[in-house]
Amino acid sequence: MGREESKKDVCLFSREQLDTIKSGYDDWFNNVLKDNDRQDELSGQYTTHSGIPIRMLHTPADIAGIDYSEDLGFPGCAPYVRGVYPNMYRGRPFTLRQLAGLGAPEDCNLRVKYLLGHGATGVNILFDLPTIRGYNSDDPEAEGNVGHCGAAVDSIWDIDAFFKDIDLGAISTSVVTHLPSTSIVIPGMYFAVAEQRGTSRDKIAGTCQNDFIMETCVGSGPEILPPPVSFRLQCDVVEYVCENYPRFNPISYNGYNLREAGTDAVQEVAIAISNAIATAEELIRRGMDVDQFAPRMSFFWDLHNDFFEEIAKCRASRKVWYKIVHDRFGAKNPKSALMRFHVQTAGVTLPATEPLNNVARSAIQGLAAVFGGCQSLHIDSYDEAYSAPTEEAALVSLRTQQIIQSETGVINTVDPLAGSYYVEYLTEQMINRIFDYIKQIEELGGLVKAVEDGWLHREIANYNLKYQKKIETGEMKIVGVNYFRSEDSSTQEIEVFEYPETYTRQKAKLDRLRKERSQQKVNECLKVLRDKCHTDENLYPFTMEAVKNLVTLGEIEELFRDEFGLWTFPLIS
Amino acid sequence: MARPIKVVMAKLGLDIHWRGVYLVSQFLRDAGMDVVYIGNKFPEQIVEAAMQEDADVVGMSTLGGNHLTLGLKTVDLLGKSDMAGVKVFMGGVIPPKHIPQLLDGGVHKVYGPDTPMETIINGIKDSVSV
Repeated sequence: MGREESKKDVCLFSREQLDTIKSGYDDWFNNVLKDNDRQDELSGQYTTHSGIPIRMLHTPADIAGIDYSEDLGFPGCAPYVRGVYPNMYRGRPFTLRQLAGLGAPEDCNLRVKYLLGHGATGVNILFDLPTIRGYNSDDPEAEGNVGHCGAAVDSIWDIDAFFKDIDLGAISTSVVTHLPSTSIVIPGMYFAVAEQRGTSRDKIAGTCQNDFIMETCVGSGPEILPPPVSFRLQCDVVEYVCENYPRFNPISYNGYNLREAGTDAVQEVAIAISNAIATAEELIRRGMDVDQFAPRMSFFWDLHNDFFEEIAKCRASRKVWYKIVHDRFGAKNPKSALMRFHVQTAGVTLPATEPLNNVARSAIQGLAAVFGGCQSLHIDSYDEAYSAPTEEAALVSLRTQQIIQSETGVINTVDPLAGSYYVEYLTEQMINRIFDYIKQIEELGGLVKAVEDGWLHREIANYNLKYQKKIETGEMKIVGVNYFRSEDSSTQEIEVFEYPETYTRQKAKLDRLRKERSQQKVNECLKVLRDKCHTDENLYPFTMEAVKNLVTLGEIEELFRDEFGLWTFPLIS
Repeated sequence: MARPIKVVMAKLGLDIHWRGVYLVSQFLRDAGMDVVYIGNKFPEQIVEAAMQEDADVVGMSTLGGNHLTLGLKTVDLLGKSDMAGVKVFMGGVIPPKHIPQLLDGGVHKVYGPDTPMETIINGIKDSVSV
């Protein structure tokens, strides 16, 4: 690796100091290192997970070009590399937001209360696959999945049951609706329930996911809406929620599931931000001002095993977002350019073999999230590869967060790894690579086009093949799996989560709902919505009106599928 | 020369994340098999695809907990069709305690997370003669 002279390489250090360090490095390299170690350094085999070259030793020379004020700044100040709030966790510790979602809404209510009762400070509500994909529990296509991996939600009654005896004005809820088509329905149910209970709009806090990439690239059918339609619904949600619910984030760009599907850290951030760019352009086209919606956009990152790269990713993502919102879209409100993000540790890194090792992996990933300055954190449970978390595994995850927050002292000072030659070097490298990848997507015609063309699917498939080959050859070491594997490791006993029977309960509730509601009202709501699909009006007020009149999720989604048609996933063959 | 082994690969029902199933498909193809990945499909559709493709092997992946319902239903439907000889393989997030039920129900082999690709390739080659 050559050590190129930078034009402005004396920002943090005097020219004299830097010259001394550079010649000191050369002297160390040539005279202190042994021959073998020199060869090892020159081999080029050391890179981060995403391919950024790593030196054996990083020195001030690697970050000599950094201008502190311009490139890092102070926390709560542009370009926000050091954090979005001036005092960060001293002012507000990261939200302990564990997942809750299983069985029927009544089961979830108990899990939510269990987590809140053990010190969780936010709720992350998950839905079963039929709900995520927009099918009622008694739909034949929902067979075998009702109440699994999340809660079954069919109507506004279910959201009411989910939050029985919980004050919706007092908690912040992440409503994990992956697809825009359900994000235009389920958060609406949440708002309607809050309204029925008399909670004022400015007290309703939370986030929904609402990401068209989830529908078109991460999910794979059997029936999915075409990318431009899914993208339109995504924008409808952002527009409507921004105008009506000032403390609710209408979108969380889901880098997490992209990463789980198969991307590296650079691609994860670049694709999520490209989606945000596309959304911003569309909303501006619709007549909104960037300062109306940007403060309510949030992000969701997946923190993988490469500890320092993941910290650098979090720091880098804040600056890239600032540059885009401020420089490109001309935001005036400082809140517009604050990238706030939730982190979930990487489920894909948690093997089934020797599952208790996953407690260590998740704790390290969670620590990286805190060093990276996340606003909210979920730590995955060690039984990830077996089932949804048991109550015990969920508690270990929550306790892991509490240990980081209360025992280690890492939250007492802001951005404690700043100034590390390695961390700042990686952060700068990540920033450049994220911008390059965003540019590549723009050259393809933007993200919606890149998805329609199958480009993103190919990127994901190519990444996965490369990653898996590294595991197969042992280049990537996984303790207990392909490295330090015990003879009896595969026979370890583990308690798995047993799903409660949900189908019959949901079916009975749906039967009662259909009897009690006014079918005439339902028909009217569906007719209006059907007509509006073919205008350029925002569909949100019409789905909201429908759910208030006890129209079910499945009925609305079926209407979308009928009106918009279905799209074939470009990788199939 | 023997013809290549014909494999139909699918994700079960509304399941999410095609990473694993597509990856296995790519490795099987590289190992010389003739692989058709049909995406997310329900039991009836999987059986239909297996018949159309005259498959030797059906591979199903699930992360969402539908292995005992849709998985076994698929095996059952295959048995009732003229595809009774087809070998069914399953993979994904499947609790080990459910594996005996799947095997009793006619699934040929279940490969959990962390299974090396070589094991899957050999497992198929050993169980199918073409």
